[in-house]
Amino acid sequence: MSELETYRAKALAFLQSMAPKYAREARSGNTVEQDLALGREYMAAKHDAGFAGINWPVEIGGQGLTHLHKIAFDSEEMQFGMPVQFFGISLGMPVPILIHYCEDKDFVKERVRKALRGEEIWCQMFSEPSGGSDLAALRTKVEPDGNGWKMNGQKIWTSWAQYCDYGVIVTRSDPTVAKHKGLTYFWIDMKSKGVEVRPIKLAGGDSHVNEVFFDDVRVEDSQRLGAVGAGFAVSLHTLMIERYIATDSGGFGPHLDEFVKLANETELNGRPAIEDGRMRSAIARNHAMRAGLDSITRRAFAMMMAGMQPGPEGSLQKLVAVRSRQKLSELAMDMKGTESLAFDEHAYVKTDWGTSWLNAPTGRIAGGSDEVLLNTIAEKILGLPQDHRPDKGVPFNAIPA
Amino acid sequence: MSILYDEGQQAIATESRRVLDARMDKGRLLKLLEQVGEHDQPFWDTAVEQGWTALAIPEEHGGLGLGLTELGLVAQACGAATSGAPFLTGGYGLAQALVQGSDAALASEWLPRLASGEATGCVAFAEGNAALPPVSKVSFADGKLTGTKPAVAGGLKADLALVWADAAGEAALVVVELAKAERVAVASYDNTRLYADLTFTDTPATLIARGDSARTLARDVLARMAVVTAHEQVGGAEALLYIARDYAVTRKAFGQPIGAFQSIKHRIAEMYGLVEIARANCIHAAAQEGTDDFLLAAADARISATEAYDTNSRDCVQIHGGIGVTWELGLHLHMRRARSLAVEQGNLLFWEDLLVNELTGEKA
Repeated sequence: MSELETYRAKALAFLQSMAPKYAREARSGNTVEQDLALGREYMAAKHDAGFAGINWPVEIGGQGLTHLHKIAFDSEEMQFGMPVQFFGISLGMPVPILIHYCEDKDFVKERVRKALRGEEIWCQMFSEPSGGSDLAALRTKVEPDGNGWKMNGQKIWTSWAQYCDYGVIVTRSDPTVAKHKGLTYFWIDMKSKGVEVRPIKLAGGDSHVNEVFFDDVRVEDSQRLGAVGAGFAVSLHTLMIERYIATDSGGFGPHLDEFVKLANETELNGRPAIEDGRMRSAIARNHAMRAGLDSITRRAFAMMMAGMQPGPEGSLQKLVAVRSRQKLSELAMDMKGTESLAFDEHAYVKTDWGTSWLNAPTGRIAGGSDEVLLNTIAEKILGLPQDHRPDKGVPFNAIPA
Repeated sequence: MSILYDEGQQAIATESRRVLDARMDKGRLLKLLEQVGEHDQPFWDTAVEQGWTALAIPEEHGGLGLGLTELGLVAQACGAATSGAPFLTGGYGLAQALVQGSDAALASEWLPRLASGEATGCVAFAEGNAALPPVSKVSFADGKLTGTKPAVAGGLKADLALVWADAAGEAALVVVELAKAERVAVASYDNTRLYADLTFTDTPATLIARGDSARTLARDVLARMAVVTAHEQVGGAEALLYIARDYAVTRKAFGQPIGAFQSIKHRIAEMYGLVEIARANCIHAAAQEGTDDFLLAAADARISATEAYDTNSRDCVQIHGGIGVTWELGLHLHMRRARSLAVEQGNLLFWEDLLVNELTGEKA
């Protein structure tokens, strides 16, 4: 067994020991608050067992292993349905950015420890009502205020902000230059005076995203991450940190085996649905697509182990997997007919087709919409031209609203 | 086997592409489309000279002893060039059957000749839309073969054929010398595939597998050829992706390159996605050669590669507009090849069923 396989086996043993208390079944029926409390407990247990901050430096409180170790742990953990959803963004982007840019190392160490143990949660505030895909169109502004800054404006789609202690934010510090040049990046205390968080109820019934309002919020200059005007570069750095993560070729919905099982158990036109050509075709096409994505993942992993940079084809994962999950969920519901009309809003997205269907649109929009991902593939990988951009090079305050 | 290409494999990929770039000629291929019964001899000479016929034949039979990964890389280069001779895949299928079959003397007689390119082979399994009919209409008895196999790729010129037949209610795999068969050329939209109806009338043939072992061997041979073809399809689909990309960055309309319009650039990005998914499946399938998972991996590769090549030929032509449908530009070489390869080695319908059967444990 290779060192990495040994590590994976160790991780699996730990997860199995945690499962009775924290995994999917133990969580069933929890309110969000109960689930969060359970999640915090699990994170502390994970920290105690040495599975927290796996690929972070030892001197900052991590385990000092490679990101391959982290992917190995994460892909095993994903199978269990542990209550980790509250901490994914926190530890995925904001805290690593703080580690990289914040100069007060004692402060950083304290935050890292508490974030890893689930005692504190960080959010990431990028999107605004006036710009999601077009990040640099943001309007939340900071103005010099004595030796610090004063912040006003609004962010939106901020995951778990209602439970967050801290956040990272990109703001406009200079409206007189081109839009991506006048941005500055900060960390802020979410309990600061003038910060107001309002949850947004989503189509699927849950409220994990929020609007966040800033009304004359005082920000110290020591909270700035990166230079004044370098906010766009720090934002891109934030988005690049998690470039290679544990993926799911099922698009974070049910496994294809669930569909095959349903088709085996369902009768259609007096025959088992599995004998229906439409179901067979859907199964075969989805299998081939998912097998391709899995093979891309394995190859990327093998390349990283060999010290090589994985190819850009990894960028296909979310685009291809989530939209096909959406269509497959519709077909599964058709197969169930009237039985599919009963809906349980607490059902698990990886085992329930209705929940998978209703929440799929979020997956196709969050973290880069299908259209933005296609643009990125076309421009960055294939060298196709950018769209016509009338705001290019124009000072932000001269762009027609 | 590793899913990362080693240096030797990378060299095969680069060298086969370089040789074909230098020697293939679109004008020559276009002319061949209008002739029934001719293949691209310069391509075949190249294949023999480069040792591609010997690649996947064991060393003790005069081959190079390499496998599906290496042959797949050559097939990918051939696909990119719409190169024109069907013997590469058919010869490989026949050779695999001889290696795994029960007649050692026959294997010793023919494998060295197939490896050296002195003899060519083809595989005659399909009848109509059945890639591997439950009961073949061609019958084998007392060392003799009778019946017709329709539109066999390479059948018009190959020296030797592997035939899926019925022996008194049992499946049979037999090898037959085609000099003794009646061959009628099929005028096709892809003539260099050398399709021919092969009619056998008490033609002497040699049995190499019977019953369940014939069924298992036939499926293995078909899956292996499907993986080679899937590589060829990926090569073609990838070539079309870059032809479309190159056109979209140079052709202008409404004051900008057409590639700046999202209707075009998104279409090309989708073409990229299809190629990469199919390529990943091909790499995986080639690496699974000889394992229990091979049939399923071959089905994944074949399905995604067929979808990629068909879709990319449709979309590449569409992105070109009017010039895309001209004879001279030759995109139809890919369109034609995408379809002929989609039908050879079992169509999508066959592989979809086979894949679901593998998942559910049913036997076809």
